[in-house]
Amino acid sequence: MRIKIKNFLLLIALVVGSTTALAQSNTGSVSIHFQHWANNQALVLVDSAYKNSFGESYQPTRLKYYVSNIELRQSPSKSKHIPSVYLMDAAAEQDLSLSLQPGIYHTLAFSIGVDSSLNCSGAQSGALDPINGMFWTWNTGYIYFKLEGYSAESAADLQKIEYHIGGYTGILKANRTVVLPLAQPLQVVAGKSYQINVSVDLDKFWMGKSKTSIVDNALIMSPGLLAAAAADNIPAMFTIGSIQ
Amino acid sequence: MKIKVTISLFAFVTLYLFIIGAAKEDGYGAYQPKAIPFKIPKGWPAPLQNIFAKNKLTLQGFELGKKLFYDTRLSKDSTVSCASCHQPFAAFSSLDHDVSHGIGNQFTTRNAPALMNLAWMNTFHWDGAINHLEVQPLAPLTAPNEMGQTLEGILQFLREDEEYRKMFKAAFGDPNASTERMLKAMAQFTGSLVSSDSKYDRVMNGQDTFSNFEKKGYVHFKTFCGSCHQEPLFTDLTFRNNGFPLNRKKDVGRMAITGLAEDSLKFKVPSLRNVQLSGPYMHDGSIFSVPQVIDFYLTKINRSTQGLDSNLRKPIVLNRLQKNELVYFLYTLTDTSFTKSKRFGPDGPEQFKH
Repeated sequence: MRIKIKNFLLLIALVVGSTTALAQSNTGSVSIHFQHWANNQALVLVDSAYKNSFGESYQPTRLKYYVSNIELRQSPSKSKHIPSVYLMDAAAEQDLSLSLQPGIYHTLAFSIGVDSSLNCSGAQSGALDPINGMFWTWNTGYIYFKLEGYSAESAADLQKIEYHIGGYTGILKANRTVVLPLAQPLQVVAGKSYQINVSVDLDKFWMGKSKTSIVDNALIMSPGLLAAAAADNIPAMFTIGSIQ
Repeated sequence: MKIKVTISLFAFVTLYLFIIGAAKEDGYGAYQPKAIPFKIPKGWPAPLQNIFAKNKLTLQGFELGKKLFYDTRLSKDSTVSCASCHQPFAAFSSLDHDVSHGIGNQFTTRNAPALMNLAWMNTFHWDGAINHLEVQPLAPLTAPNEMGQTLEGILQFLREDEEYRKMFKAAFGDPNASTERMLKAMAQFTGSLVSSDSKYDRVMNGQDTFSNFEKKGYVHFKTFCGSCHQEPLFTDLTFRNNGFPLNRKKDVGRMAITGLAEDSLKFKVPSLRNVQLSGPYMHDGSIFSVPQVIDFYLTKINRSTQGLDSNLRKPIVLNRLQKNELVYFLYTLTDTSFTKSKRFGPDGPEQFKH
């Protein structure tokens, strides 16, 4: 019993201590909001059809991707790096929340994809749990970017379109870095909250550094040169919006 | 004031004890995992991925992994378990099956490899598609022509089964199955499947001696086979083109994974341990006996095959007697203490109730 009381006192001390630490927070909080677009309209999955760069009509049903290695840069030598991996889902938009030291930040950078080492780390949980449907069970590795839907131009079964972009080795590596200079520098003050809006434009997926047309490639479902080429277009999908 | 303090302190203590008590008594027993050692056989290298560094091997985790391995209820129609194609008496391969059978009388395209010494491997499948022992089971569990289940379906079953809830609690402190906990438990079982007690091993340790035939066979082995089937694992873990022609399934092997033309028709060098028990042979199980495999290397390889492994460019010359000697040696790699192990085998009729 004596030991338990000792434990209890320790617990109280911990609770009090951590509350005090929170109250004295000397960081600002920043949330990053991803807004999805297609044909200059807010993306509506399942119920809407859009035209891609080749004039092909398609009906997107699913858009999911991994955001990792988020970095907010103050100067070339000074930046805040967040090691977490986030799974973004256009069907369940959720902001990413970070805490930042006070200072002036001028660039937001992140990767679309999952570091190669995390592709070889065995069973994982959270965003990297294979149950999220972003993992190839027959050929180990994460699907970094998943766009699915239907199109009359697709010769595939049920006129499906499926772009599962991933790959973690050599020339098949499909991780891509997005670097977004902020429209105006963000001055973070302790205790205050900010929101950075990032636009994600599906129109840019089809034609950019490479071309992915539905009639030629309605399905890309494994790591390979096609997936790596499609990945080259992904960074241009992301642009910085307003900062609040 | 004093009374107030005493009362609130009492209330806090009660609450605290209640929380502690609740954590202990969720109806699924205590969480007291017992660590078990993973022994590296004498003279063997350290396991490549050191899987038990992050995934601590415990008796409870191992037992859970074993139950999962032998449970047909993990498949879509409850007919196929891991052990259906990885039978202990066949060194955890499929006895006499060229390719594996999945649910609904479906065939796969490849021969089920023997499961042993997996802790020393860094790739799995004949084409190396899988890069870590823990994620390996996801392939057969979800392949439509193998166990045909979804992860959601498996986890739901495991979370609703009282026996599994107890075992997950005992192994991981939480009765609820998760992908990660399930896969970690499976890897504790499969990673523990070590075969290192064959006659060959006893000879190497000075506890036994080869017969004259076996001794001569060992010399042939080292001359013609040992560079790829490297001791002590009897594989160098590489992918090679052994001249076996493109089969009727048009299986190109490693190339399908790497996308590199140079990997066409390369397959993983399998371990030769327990080779006597793990037939049929080759990636599609199309050769049915060890002497026939040797015949393939002696007379059937087309030495001008494009991409043929450089180790096989020179002909292998063995006369009939020498060939038999080689077979005798290969049979010294049979480890019945492994294939008949109670620790690794099914627990008896109880296991087959499902």
